[in-house]
Amino acid sequence: MAKDYDLVVIGAGPGGEVGAIRAAQLGLKVALIEKREHLGGTCLNVGCIPTKALLASAKTWYKLQNAEEMGFTTGDISYNWDKIQARKDKIVDQQRKGLRFLMKKNKIDTYEGHGRFVSKNTISIESKAGKKETINTKNVLIATGSRVRELPFAKSNGKNIQTSDHILSIEEVPKTLAVIGGGVVGTEFASMFARMGSKVTIIELAPQILPSEDGEVVKEMVRNLKKQKITISTGTKLKGLKDDGKKVIVSCEGIDDQNFDKVLLSIGRAPVTDDLGLEKIGVSVDKGGFIPVDEHYKTKAAGIYAIGDIIATPALAHTASAEAHHAVEVIAGHKPQTINYDANPNAIYTYPEVASIGMTEETCKEKGVDYKVGKFPFAPMAKAKIEDAAMGFVKIIFEPKHNEILGVHIIGATATEMIAEFALGKILETTVDEIAMTVHPHPTISETIQEAAHDALGGAIHM
Amino acid sequence: MAKTEVLLPLMGEGVNEATISSWLVKEGDKVTKDSPLLEVSTDKVDTEIPAPASGILLKVSAAEGDTVTVDQLLAIIGDSTSDLDASAAPAPSPKTAKGIPPATSTQASVAKSTKPQTPSSANAQVKSSPLVRKIAAEKGIDLATVSGTGLHGRITKKDILNHNPTVTTRPTEQLAKVDSPAPQIPAETNDRLTTTFDEDGNELLEGVAVEREPMSRMRQLIAKHMVDSVRISPHVTTVFEIDMHEIVKSRESFKDEFFKAEGFKLTYTPYLLYAAVEAIKKFPIVNTSLDGNDILFKKDINLGCAVALENGLIVPVIKKAGDLSLSGIARRLNDLVVRARNKKLKPDDVQGGTFSVTNPGGYGSLTSNPIINQPQVAILGIGTIVKRPVVYQDMIAIRPQMLASLTFDHRVIDGEGGSKFLACFKENLESFSAKPM
Repeated sequence: MAKDYDLVVIGAGPGGEVGAIRAAQLGLKVALIEKREHLGGTCLNVGCIPTKALLASAKTWYKLQNAEEMGFTTGDISYNWDKIQARKDKIVDQQRKGLRFLMKKNKIDTYEGHGRFVSKNTISIESKAGKKETINTKNVLIATGSRVRELPFAKSNGKNIQTSDHILSIEEVPKTLAVIGGGVVGTEFASMFARMGSKVTIIELAPQILPSEDGEVVKEMVRNLKKQKITISTGTKLKGLKDDGKKVIVSCEGIDDQNFDKVLLSIGRAPVTDDLGLEKIGVSVDKGGFIPVDEHYKTKAAGIYAIGDIIATPALAHTASAEAHHAVEVIAGHKPQTINYDANPNAIYTYPEVASIGMTEETCKEKGVDYKVGKFPFAPMAKAKIEDAAMGFVKIIFEPKHNEILGVHIIGATATEMIAEFALGKILETTVDEIAMTVHPHPTISETIQEAAHDALGGAIHM
Repeated sequence: MAKTEVLLPLMGEGVNEATISSWLVKEGDKVTKDSPLLEVSTDKVDTEIPAPASGILLKVSAAEGDTVTVDQLLAIIGDSTSDLDASAAPAPSPKTAKGIPPATSTQASVAKSTKPQTPSSANAQVKSSPLVRKIAAEKGIDLATVSGTGLHGRITKKDILNHNPTVTTRPTEQLAKVDSPAPQIPAETNDRLTTTFDEDGNELLEGVAVEREPMSRMRQLIAKHMVDSVRISPHVTTVFEIDMHEIVKSRESFKDEFFKAEGFKLTYTPYLLYAAVEAIKKFPIVNTSLDGNDILFKKDINLGCAVALENGLIVPVIKKAGDLSLSGIARRLNDLVVRARNKKLKPDDVQGGTFSVTNPGGYGSLTSNPIINQPQVAILGIGTIVKRPVVYQDMIAIRPQMLASLTFDHRVIDGEGGSKFLACFKENLESFSAKPM
């Protein structure tokens, strides 16, 4: 007999997992289907968590190399890449176990296999071994996420031409690395491997790396990456890759062919919507492969919801979680507030870190929005010097009539933590005045935020 | 020159603020002590505030629609208009008026800081955001007229930008401003419908033209209380038929004498209330509240009596009705009904009810299925008295018959308890023999 559920969640990433738990909390009987052996999706297995674990090691390595300045005599120092990898694997494993526990605690049935629609109320699950079973449900939350995007003329082979999925488990730090695509993923890996000693070249088709970030921030980022000996080639079109077993020959338009030990293809991610049986429920995807949904993440088919990387909202773990939380509350008959995407923060874990929310100066200009800027650098702040983090700034873009905060862009240490203040600020519709009025603890790097707000109002103190 | 400050008086336990409905006297007008000065509306009642002194109303410090707190300055009354200039000086803080040194003690400064400090005090009471308040200030929008769609009714940027100021020029504007200072009633009682507009700007609901009228504050509160009660208590109703012969006979023989002595008419209601009180004494389970897994038996019988008003209903309470005679109940009831209709009830008059009675029989209703007034557990519904042919002592006779219903909370009271109470009530009426005076 097929089991009956109130909700079946397909995909156990940061969207699906949160949706399943919230649904269970609200009293629904929930099944969670995951194709991978482990729960946690891209984020935990081949995304946010393992990359940040490696970045933390790279940061420590950098600090050790520069420990002299702090008063340490270190002598010869070295790192053991295997151990760095093992630490990363351990953190990932602990988080996976944590998720298993949460599923058990919330009495969520987990199924390992590929979930497909048989009908709106029946889902088939095909295990890796080919075993098939079906379950019945009243509602479905599709949370299948995304996969690495490939180029038709330059495919990864898992050997010397890798994607982020492969390079996370790379056995040794490559001497030379070409990063194709200077988006968030590419820049993070470039930053990490450069710190571990690789000679890194970023090749980006667009006129700037991190194309969606504020121009001033990107300029500062480029300056820093170059200081770390990273070569950046923007406006450069890749023609082809050739792996001869030892080296990869990278051919680009307008420049000579170059050889690299490894190539990382990081040109973006594509939604996983192709093998779900969507045609069985009358749902079709758009040109980009995204599933159209309304503001409550309802698809065209009654009782079927979609969230995360498979809809045309920012492809971020925390965004997927928020969307899943919302969708499931709607399914359970609640009336949650719709998500305000202007208040959705971005975080980039390069060295230096970048975090942002809302509009950039470029989008303000493009849309003809009247704006002003308040800005303050880290350099004068005592805590930034103490932490050896004097590089960076906080930039607040605001509308001058009511001082509404339009966008905030932070580059520098703890940027990804500090942006949370503005995520709350945007939700509460805080204006620059309240940020300036908020007493920030001293000494902290967050004082820069208050100073940027003071600057916006015409009177930064420590400049 | 003597000046008197008019402060918002304490109007009852737990009533800390009121909204100014209307000023009955203009600045510069003469006022006499104890004459009505302004009307205010609280969560509990609408009431008048009398002038504390005779003289000239020099200055009005709180506008219609403003929400004011207890002890807040409302106006200044002086001897003559020559006081007017002097009154323009900063008004002393309310606490100073009471003899506490200004802002030297922490207590005084805390008290001060809890008071609305911006001139648009009404705006400060509404949930909004810093951005919304700035936009409201710029555009001169009273936030009390904007409905919020944010968390817990918060007014968001979107709400204020979508706010249609033409709505406030409608004739109902006064009502909206006065009666709904804040959209504090939870959304569950007032889900928004989707309406459209035709080319002429008429609002349409499912294609039907509508005229939008905001609910008064009283209406909103009734809506909320009714929804809450239905959700909280499983309602069960039981109905008895009662022979009112003895009561009709008693009233007929005493009403003239009663009117001469008391100055108001003797109605059937005091008889019914009296019979109910005597039944409550025998079955105190109907005079309780449920608190978690405990039943709270009330030591007083405070009878709430529903009184219909122009655009709503209010339930003033006859306190300690168990200690009153029939004429005592009649007097208290008359006093409350007269004051309810003249908007002179104090918040205390509508608090602390332990059992309620509603009498739609006055409008011809035979029986009713009323909603319990939380946190009470029972309400008595009275039908109209009709002469009917009934079998009386094995003969067909014409008797004045009345249906009475008891609606009770089945968590606390079972069918047996409810029926026994109502049987006792019936017995008290059918065997009535006491003199009403």
